[in-house]
Amino acid sequence: MRFLKQPTRLLFFTGKGGVGKTSLACATAVALADQGQKVLLVSTDPASNLGQVFGVTIGEHEPTPIPGVAGLFALNINPEAAAQAYRDRIIGPVRDVLPAETVKGMEEQLSGACTTEIAAFDEFTGLLTDGVATGKYDHVIFDTAPTGHTLRLLQLPTAWSNFLESNESGASCLGPLSGLEKQRQQYAHAVAELANGDTTTVVLVSRPQKASLAEAERTSRELATLGIVSQQLVINGVMPNNGSGDSLAVALRQREAAAMHDLPDTLASLPIVQMPLQPRNMVGVAALRALLSETPEAMLPPQGAASHIPQSLPALSSLIDAIESDGHGLVMVLGKGGVGQTTVAAAIAVDLAARGHAVHLTTTDPAAHLSMTVESNLPNLTVSRIDPQEERDRYRQHVMETKGKNLDEAGRRLLEEDLRSPCTEEIAVFQAFSRVMRESREKFVVVDTAPSGHTLLLLDATGSYHRDVVRHLKPGTQVVTPMMRLQDPSTGLIHATVR
Amino acid sequence: MATIQVFDKPMCCSSGVCGPDVDPALVAISADLQWLVRQGIQVQRINPAHQPTLFAANELVRQELQKHGSGCLPVVVVDNAVVSRGVFPNRQQLANWAGIAVNELPVVSTGCCGGGVKPTSSTSGCCEPA
Repeated sequence: MRFLKQPTRLLFFTGKGGVGKTSLACATAVALADQGQKVLLVSTDPASNLGQVFGVTIGEHEPTPIPGVAGLFALNINPEAAAQAYRDRIIGPVRDVLPAETVKGMEEQLSGACTTEIAAFDEFTGLLTDGVATGKYDHVIFDTAPTGHTLRLLQLPTAWSNFLESNESGASCLGPLSGLEKQRQQYAHAVAELANGDTTTVVLVSRPQKASLAEAERTSRELATLGIVSQQLVINGVMPNNGSGDSLAVALRQREAAAMHDLPDTLASLPIVQMPLQPRNMVGVAALRALLSETPEAMLPPQGAASHIPQSLPALSSLIDAIESDGHGLVMVLGKGGVGQTTVAAAIAVDLAARGHAVHLTTTDPAAHLSMTVESNLPNLTVSRIDPQEERDRYRQHVMETKGKNLDEAGRRLLEEDLRSPCTEEIAVFQAFSRVMRESREKFVVVDTAPSGHTLLLLDATGSYHRDVVRHLKPGTQVVTPMMRLQDPSTGLIHATVR
Repeated sequence: MATIQVFDKPMCCSSGVCGPDVDPALVAISADLQWLVRQGIQVQRINPAHQPTLFAANELVRQELQKHGSGCLPVVVVDNAVVSRGVFPNRQQLANWAGIAVNELPVVSTGCCGGGVKPTSSTSGCCEPA
């Protein structure tokens, strides 16, 4: 193989959306299986692509054998499916014992963002530590969600371990602490596995671009603070120098060379491998085998390149004309990682601001780089970022100042303790998201969302929040929940995509 | 010594920090129950969303649910008798049931009802406007 001379048992591929994590993770899995190893490939991305790559439906509970590659199995961790399994496990035994209304209440309580996260997380740590589930595999390879989501997943074992350690009130979102000895051990074990360089390697995947490398650097540092120091860098999709004088190719090569020359120190000290840009789509086992073969010439250019691109797609400005007509509104730009939703969001915001409108451009991507994209100072354009940690602190402070106001010392201590639960971060991010949505009544709010999977979870949270609010509503009162605002016709959803 | 059991409404977490709103009444009851434990009273708090089997195993609670529906929660059981339903009791009530004196100031004003005032609503766990 062209990298990973001595692959550890656990391998994580992480990076910004669109850098090629999935391709490299899949190619590595195929290569190890071809060497006779038994390999489990796991996607933790809520918008997993493993099925497309291998052309089979990948299981969400049981690993699926991959046709044509002996010894390779694949599994998708789907947060929704994990949450459903979690609910069934908890509610199943009492479904026929308790009144239907009570059972329904239990189901509702176990449908929030918090349960979804915990269920997916439990499944994840289970794979790291459960000898029964993964013991028979020589390697477990994780194709992770785009960085922000993954960092969160990797931080959670430590966060929950600390929370369980310091919690005195005897209860948590995971249930009564007395019953959590198993989880406590599982999380502590997961933390230890991740920090052990003999068992775990994190492969940071980046494109040879400034923003992409900056994010890899940030990830590298954050992982190091978690004790995960066994890291490698793959600079993927480097424009090969084939002697072409094509001006686009020359410009790309120069830009990439400059980005790699200015490599941040943290990254420069890691083992680094460069992978050339490939002429074909990384779909199918043959393409994956060729990617890591010692003879890159095996990569043939695609036969009869298609030229079905319509010549007359409308320009972005005509889309902005339509958005502008209401004078205010919410514009959410969605898309898979790497398709350019940040660029599209920034272009829309800058154009609207240039047309004289008040515009707030913000991002829910935990690994955002908006300020790197918009380096301008338009007077009526505000640029912000919903930072999960900042939002969490703000939420905690707000709850203590309002709900904690009338409590005495002991009550405040209890509330503070509960607020340390890792769950509050999800809630806080969601509340910040609702806050910017409210602003869209007066101005334009352009939201550069996190890559699809994460955003879908966020939008789903607006649904469960809506149901929660409506359930607690006193008769005769009216509210506008974030979900109702999303359903408002003046809200625009823009899907960014590449052909 | 009395044993006090609180059978909660289904809840994600015990204070509501991960829901749309934090209910100070939930923080208050947690603090009061902790206080009871410090006085040496046996206290058990059972959230059906976390311990469904234990919750459903209680005959009294199942009867309450059949008779009154989910609005009866939280149900407080002292020595195998239902002493309160639909509201969280305050510290004074808990102390009476436990047969001990309140030697510390009750912890909390629950925000909407004020400390120690008996909530009037049977369903919300908090008081309705007069």
